[in-house]
Amino acid sequence: MTSACEATTRVLPGTAVIELSGEVDGAAATVLTAAYERAVAEGPGISTVVLDFAAVDYINSTGIALIVSVLARARAERRKVVASGLSPHYREIFDITRLSDFIELFPDLDRAVSQLTPPAA
Amino acid sequence: MTQVAPRRLDTFTLASEPGNERLALARVAGVVKDLGLDGRRLERFKTAVAEATMNAIEHGNGNRQEIPVEVEVTQDGDRIVVAITDQGGRAPAGEENREEPDLARKLDGDQSPRGWGLFLIRNMVDAMEVTTDGQRHTIWLTMRTGGAAHDERM
Repeated sequence: MTSACEATTRVLPGTAVIELSGEVDGAAATVLTAAYERAVAEGPGISTVVLDFAAVDYINSTGIALIVSVLARARAERRKVVASGLSPHYREIFDITRLSDFIELFPDLDRAVSQLTPPAA
Repeated sequence: MTQVAPRRLDTFTLASEPGNERLALARVAGVVKDLGLDGRRLERFKTAVAEATMNAIEHGNGNRQEIPVEVEVTQDGDRIVVAITDQGGRAPAGEENREEPDLARKLDGDQSPRGWGLFLIRNMVDAMEVTTDGQRHTIWLTMRTGGAAHDERM
């Protein structure tokens, strides 16, 4: 019934991408925190963190709290957080909670990456 | 004009185990999916049911598996009502007067990052009511099948 949260990270010039899958709930805390730490381990050169939710099928209130914690940490480290791949329902939840005031939303990861990373020379 | 009595559509119980809110969500979604809620409002209802069940499991029954959460789904005219009951007695401390979550304050560390459950529930359904008899604590979630003024703010 449940599918635990998984996260893969990759680093692009100036931008770290965290692709999430499964369920973002209280049990995802360790996975999400570790993914963030891996993502920014490249150092201060990482100015933006992309959270991609395209493969996430469930986010609950404790998952929202986790996202708030990641956002707070990123802001304290002067990093920007953006999100991609949210379903219309979770996009609405990001609006209601005002997360979308602090996290720029992109329809999908490709569009987020193309706007955040410089084109190849 | 003839009054139609409310119709019970389903009733079931769940063990108070973290994660079981997903079972409630799936079962209620299956019961109400053909009753006229559009996809967007069905998703909202599912989120409200999951959050209310999670509160019942965690705060009402203290994650004690042997104490069941009861779920009842009824239809009363154009209203679908889901009642979720725990044995938490009185409303969890501050349920009625809990501070509204404020994201800016959370980001500044002035509020806990948590505390979104009731806020989400209230914003997902057309009506929410809480009753208690000192032993049983029930949250009533109502969604109208024809849409509602509530929906127009989005």
